[in-house]
Amino acid sequence: MSVLYRLEWGMLEETFKHLRQCGDGRDECQILWLSSWDMPEVISKVVHPKHAAHFGGFVLDDDWLNKFWMELGDTNMGIRFQVHTHPGEAFHSKTDDEFPILHKPGFLSLVIPNFGLGAVGFKDAYLTEIQTNGGWQEVPIESRLVLT
Amino acid sequence: MDNVNPNEKSQGADAKSGETGCEGGGHAIEHLHEAEHDLEKALEKQRDAAQEIAKAEVEIKEAIREEEQEHARQFAVEVLYDGVKKKFEVRIEETVKQLLDKAIAAFGPLPNPHTLSLYKDGKELADTSTIKQAGIKPHDVLLLRPSTVKGGA
Repeated sequence: MSVLYRLEWGMLEETFKHLRQCGDGRDECQILWLSSWDMPEVISKVVHPKHAAHFGGFVLDDDWLNKFWMELGDTNMGIRFQVHTHPGEAFHSKTDDEFPILHKPGFLSLVIPNFGLGAVGFKDAYLTEIQTNGGWQEVPIESRLVLT
Repeated sequence: MDNVNPNEKSQGADAKSGETGCEGGGHAIEHLHEAEHDLEKALEKQRDAAQEIAKAEVEIKEAIREEEQEHARQFAVEVLYDGVKKKFEVRIEETVKQLLDKAIAAFGPLPNPHTLSLYKDGKELADTSTIKQAGIKPHDVLLLRPSTVKGGA
């Protein structure tokens, strides 16, 4: 059931760049990691969704989400991770649990602390996965993600 | 003058006749050019007519398709979730909720189904509407997606 995804270092750098530029140390921000359905284990695209954000949260734009959903179908891609920042400690809040972009077993959510202003990497980051019963369960990052 | 050689006269008549023959050939060529021109015009009209027939046939097929769509009571639609499309047969009197439940089961089962809805043309479809009331037509692609995506510390 569990997949060990491969992510290029450059994509992690790109992710942090978006989180820092968009959040600017003031607002939360979200990024999505996609891969092709032909090769799901290799993350091949970083997407920065259109969203409204504030210090303690974010909401994705509804029209953007419709277009993005169609684009996923047209390009044969699927969402593997949602990545978002928190102002301080990384954890999964009640809102994070209840309103993910996908709610299916195996979907992963990575939370980056301190608005992503720390070093590029997973120090103090938090990774959680949806279980078959719908609940979230924290998982070690290295068990689901390897940097290449 | 009376001693005119009949042969000479005859030759003269032949020469005149020959001139007349040349003039007749000129008319014939002219007629031929006119006929060719008329033929080209006729062929052009034929081509135009063929194009109009082809256009009319396409319009008839389109009208038949629209008519069939308008009156189809059962047809196939596609539902798109996370980049994957699946086909579903629907009946116009079914509710959107029935289709939603079938889609959730086919793509999953997906936990927390209450967070998911069907979308058409960017609009969330009311669960209680029938397929007909929701304006769903054959071959429509509907989105299965969460109503809201948000996060927060």
